[in-house]
Amino acid sequence: MTEIVQFRKATKAFAGNAAVRDVDFTLRQGEVHALLGENGAGKSTLTKVLAGLYPLTSGEMLIDGKPVSFSSPADAMKHGIAMVFQETNLIPSMNVAQNIFLGEERFFNRLRGVNIKAQQHLQRLNFHVEPTALVSTLGAAKKQMVEIARAVHHKARIFIFDEPTATLTPEEKQHFFALVERLKGEGASVIFISHALEEVLSIADRISVLRDGALIATDEARNFTRERIVQAMVGRQLTDALYGDAAAKRVARRPGDKVLALENVSMGKAVRSATLSVFAGQVTGLFGLVGAGRTEMMKIAAGVLKRDFFHGGRITLRGEAVRFRVPRQAVRRGVAYITEDRKLDGLFDTMGIAQNVFLGKLAKGSNPVSVIGLGEARRQSAEWIETMKVRSIGANVRVVELSGGNQQKVVIAKSLIQAPSLIIFDEPTRGVDVGAIAEIHRIIERLADAGAAVVVISSYLPEILNLSDRILVARQGRIVEEMTIDEASEEKIMYAAVH
Amino acid sequence: MSEAAAQGNQARLSSLLNSQEGIVLVLAVLAFVLFSLLLPSFFSPGNILALIRSVSILGILALGMALVVIARGIDVSMIATMVVSVSWAFVIARSGYSLEFALLVGALFAVSAGMLIGVLIAFGEVAPIFATLAAGSVIYGLGRTFFFTLEMQNVPPGAGWFSLIGQGRILGVPVTVVIFAMLCLALHLVLSRTWFGWQTYAMGNNPGAARITGISNRPMIVAQYAISALIAYGAGLVLASSASAINARLFNSTMIYDILLVVVLGGIGLNGGHGKVRNVILGTIFVGILLNGMTIMNIAYTIQNLVKGVVLLLAIVIDSLVNPRDEQTSQQGDL
Repeated sequence: MTEIVQFRKATKAFAGNAAVRDVDFTLRQGEVHALLGENGAGKSTLTKVLAGLYPLTSGEMLIDGKPVSFSSPADAMKHGIAMVFQETNLIPSMNVAQNIFLGEERFFNRLRGVNIKAQQHLQRLNFHVEPTALVSTLGAAKKQMVEIARAVHHKARIFIFDEPTATLTPEEKQHFFALVERLKGEGASVIFISHALEEVLSIADRISVLRDGALIATDEARNFTRERIVQAMVGRQLTDALYGDAAAKRVARRPGDKVLALENVSMGKAVRSATLSVFAGQVTGLFGLVGAGRTEMMKIAAGVLKRDFFHGGRITLRGEAVRFRVPRQAVRRGVAYITEDRKLDGLFDTMGIAQNVFLGKLAKGSNPVSVIGLGEARRQSAEWIETMKVRSIGANVRVVELSGGNQQKVVIAKSLIQAPSLIIFDEPTRGVDVGAIAEIHRIIERLADAGAAVVVISSYLPEILNLSDRILVARQGRIVEEMTIDEASEEKIMYAAVH
Repeated sequence: MSEAAAQGNQARLSSLLNSQEGIVLVLAVLAFVLFSLLLPSFFSPGNILALIRSVSILGILALGMALVVIARGIDVSMIATMVVSVSWAFVIARSGYSLEFALLVGALFAVSAGMLIGVLIAFGEVAPIFATLAAGSVIYGLGRTFFFTLEMQNVPPGAGWFSLIGQGRILGVPVTVVIFAMLCLALHLVLSRTWFGWQTYAMGNNPGAARITGISNRPMIVAQYAISALIAYGAGLVLASSASAINARLFNSTMIYDILLVVVLGGIGLNGGHGKVRNVILGTIFVGILLNGMTIMNIAYTIQNLVKGVVLLLAIVIDSLVNPRDEQTSQQGDL
């Protein structure tokens, strides 16, 4: 079999951090090749390099044995490489035919001619999509068909699918698999990123597993089992000091009162009948892969998102049923949600540290004086800035100028000054330097020791194992597994998180 | 003075000169010196006083606009609110009610118009520019159809104290200027010393973070537009008092652009979250010098508008370069 794509020692670094490291990867003509790995393992980065979105930092990429480097996605397209996104690349207000021929409009266009051409094209592919239908009226599977039809029209022979089945219904999934088979039958090669192991094992010819940017295993699919894949995904050697002492040595804290309970909570397609409890005086770890809905579940509990009005389930806070419309109501009742994306909705970035922290207090409405000023803000936030060990070169520095770790500490301090009793940390150490990680972990431990109910959402298994007393695993909008820290292991958690 | 303090002062000076504020300040001083040297009638106590007085109304309106702009909004309905509420108050007063009662009704109308706009923006999630643009037309249309028919509404007769607002003096300073100064002080205190002010900055800085932190953005937005409408009404009263009448045609004038010019030129970024009252004062003074100088030089009205338009355009372009709305959009360079 000819090797159509080859990566040799491929490395892609962002700001010095390698997202993909020395990867040797091959894609053969006419095969379906599945890429597996945790969040952040480098699957998306690798395929984006192939699709021309990023250049390689070092190493080589060969197409048909010739070294290439793409300057843009259009450039990759010319080599027959098409990345099929969920639905983002179609223009919803145009019809199917217009979308297929997008970018090659002539000066004058007759819609009818375009429709007929699209009809012929779709029929040849055996896709049952009406060319005159508006894209906004199509379901997820049909949109994928349009994307693929467009790619085929551009003479694509390498298709990259990133989590194609995540939003599909079981029936649509069957259609999708039939479609992949057909593409394969026509000699095209397919790269398929997924978390659904059963799907991967049934349709892939070969499987590659990535972990922390490195290629761990590549083999024929028939040589893999679920167990072997999970092992390859998580088998990390924990040598660094931060996660060195394994979680097993630690004694789990005993659960206190039940603080938060979600019963059959649903929100659209992201959260489907999730049930979970959070107890005072311990850390509850919440693990899940992309699309598992863990952030959404906690955002619902904190009033940031609203659950479905009908059949949305029940949420109780300290035994009392609640339905928050806005985060303010949750904040006033002692719930703090600390965001995973501090730039997006965590920081007031052109303000100072003290102002950021003090705004937390103002928002809670617990500020004792009505006339405030910078001096007052400094006095009242000093304690928390001290506790969090926020380091900056001066008191007037705007938080946008701080390091990632210090920014994260400011966001945490802004929430902790509100004296919450339920604290939800969403990816608390994302983009944070090692020293700050240790300090943030120490704060989380201290909060739990002091009797607060703490939830830590993390994609990084060692972090979950290191911090949690109790672990919940989310998959497809549900909590599928609950375990104590004594029962938990990386393999067990990952086994529950994939499906 | 110690060396460190001197160094600190020097650093502050250089950072001032690099900021938009500093540039505008320098430009204002330059324009002032230039006009004083070139135009003999410019640098006289009478003209300076007239300059400040004429520009005070613009400054008052800009204070209201500034509050809304800091919170990441914009209010282009201010002039409509101003002319309709003041005109209606005068109509009521002339039809036999006391002036005080009529003025109260006008104030209530202005506040409710502002709140309605605020509700549209906060709860209807309409973009502020469109909401206020459309609401301005609706308010003006309502006023001309139901409340008054004449464009020109004179101040009702027998209102002795009312004419003092625009024409009186306190220790030689026009009352108009005193009102502007007091409103500046009031808004300054609100913005820098109250939770309302702080939360306004927070909303403008990052609405998403403000929401998660527990700030109730929506009631805040309603309050901000209500306050800006009330300030517009106040400006209208000052204007009517000094001219003894209010002209509804102002709605069709370039006044709203002059207000935006003051706000943007002064250094209150249209992307929200920063800017202080001193920026409004600075903008007001610069625009005042510009307008007054051009008027003395007898430059045609249309050319004055062209100059103002060009300056506004430049100010907005510089503002969007200096304060990009967010990192994502400012880094898009693949065209």
